[in-house]
Amino acid sequence: MTALNDTTTSTARSVASTRTFPASVGLMRRSLVNITRLPSAFLPSVLMPIFQAIAFSGTFFAITQIPGFPTDRSINWFLPLGVVMGAGFAGIGIGFSTIRDLEGGFYDRLRLTPTPRMSLVTGPLLAALARAALVTTIVFIVGTLFGARLTHGPLGLIPLYAAALGIAAIGTGWGLGLAFIFRDMRAAAIMQLTFFLVIFLTEAQTPLFIMQGWLENVARFNPFNSVIRLSRLGYVDPPISWDNTWSGLLTIAVFTLLMLLFARRGLTRLSDV
Amino acid sequence: MTVTATTMTPRTRPELRQSTVAQTVALSKRSILSLWRQPSLVVPSLIFPLFFAALGTSSFSRATTAVPGFPAVDSYLDFALAGSVVQGILFGSTVGATALAVDIENGFFDRLLSSPSTRSGIIVGRMAGGMVYGCFQTVFFIVVLLPFGLSIKGGVAGVLTMAAGGTILALAVGALMSAMAIKTGSSEAVQGAFPLLFIAMFFSSAFFPKETMSGLYKTLAYINPISYLVEGFRDLTIDGFSASAVVRAVVIPAILAMVAVVLALWALTSRLGAR
Repeated sequence: MTALNDTTTSTARSVASTRTFPASVGLMRRSLVNITRLPSAFLPSVLMPIFQAIAFSGTFFAITQIPGFPTDRSINWFLPLGVVMGAGFAGIGIGFSTIRDLEGGFYDRLRLTPTPRMSLVTGPLLAALARAALVTTIVFIVGTLFGARLTHGPLGLIPLYAAALGIAAIGTGWGLGLAFIFRDMRAAAIMQLTFFLVIFLTEAQTPLFIMQGWLENVARFNPFNSVIRLSRLGYVDPPISWDNTWSGLLTIAVFTLLMLLFARRGLTRLSDV
Repeated sequence: MTVTATTMTPRTRPELRQSTVAQTVALSKRSILSLWRQPSLVVPSLIFPLFFAALGTSSFSRATTAVPGFPAVDSYLDFALAGSVVQGILFGSTVGATALAVDIENGFFDRLLSSPSTRSGIIVGRMAGGMVYGCFQTVFFIVVLLPFGLSIKGGVAGVLTMAAGGTILALAVGALMSAMAIKTGSSEAVQGAFPLLFIAMFFSSAFFPKETMSGLYKTLAYINPISYLVEGFRDLTIDGFSASAVVRAVVIPAILAMVAVVLALWALTSRLGAR
């Protein structure tokens, strides 16, 4: 009997592990289909970064005249910020749609299916990465039309996409975790506010050497500052080197792991309720 | 069975006027109380402008001396106050219009219309809440930022003018958004229109002097009335009290308010006519 149980368990595990990826892809496709079926939920994550990049570069055009500023094009400075914001919102947008599913009862039905639990995290993660890649590409094209130029050639796109996908992954973990804990729209406000604060308390607007006072101290120790720097590597004058790349990649790796664990833990707790 | 017939005495004009005023005051109280009782709706309109002012002061203080064309200011905070006030009022006034749209959605507006209350009182009452809040926001931002080094060259007269300008601006924005609320009857549509105001503010001199911009942005900032309105508030802060600053801080919002109120009343008339 025990042997039979073991066999059944191992078979079930095997089936579950083989199904995790297809189930994740299925959930990702559902999320991507929602882009066309519910464009009002996705469009802000594209329009907002475009607006931000254009409006900031126009309004704060003159800051590039400050001696030592790392680029002479303001759009080069603000386009990566727009990309990071858009990618982050693509990630936490997954949290919003999860809240809708939780409130509407769809998530309960999803949990009743033999879908592997892990796919309920990896599926939305894949969707967020696909959405973030789409947002990054659109913002890059529009930004280029508005005068943004890659200082070190196409190679500069690698850090931009790495930062965007990394922030999307972190945002997904954070959004899902909060959605599983609160299970209603209260989580949405926390997701947006925390993300907004974390990104703006960095070199988002000006480099560290231009800042004065409290923000300089906060930005210097904010780990997400390295991600913002990573995103800008291809658009600023200093050359792309490992020295100014590794800290951003490390931050992305560590926070992605932590946030996905946070989401997985939230999902387990949700099952306990 | 005896039937007692009571004679209906027509109300006199002063009585009617009193009734209109009383109804408007009652509806104004309701809109003010609704803001007071739902702090979660209004707190963001107090916190975010302050956050941006703090962020900008730390980010752009060096720009005030390093960027050619930047007006002479003691600190970026002095420069940022006007933008913060306008930003806060744009946020806050949308809340009142959204509440009006919610009234329409849940049927309370129809009950008001079917009651013997005056039509203008319904609209003015809702906007009055926004005006009081706009005045409060202006004073609140000044009081909170004073300990952080804000100096207002216009003195008490400057502060009072800004409070008046803030109140009228709240009326203008509130009326504009109310027109949209009445026209569409949808709170989502009102909130969806808010980014347009935000965009209009960004393409103005709310955050940086328009003289330092270039190309299309500069053109947009020059033709955007928000630029002149903000500069009126700003001149009262960084230059001192002057007739030119008063005109820009009060007259521009007043013109905008007149246009917006006419739009709101027109939207109400067309809504009633459509029934």
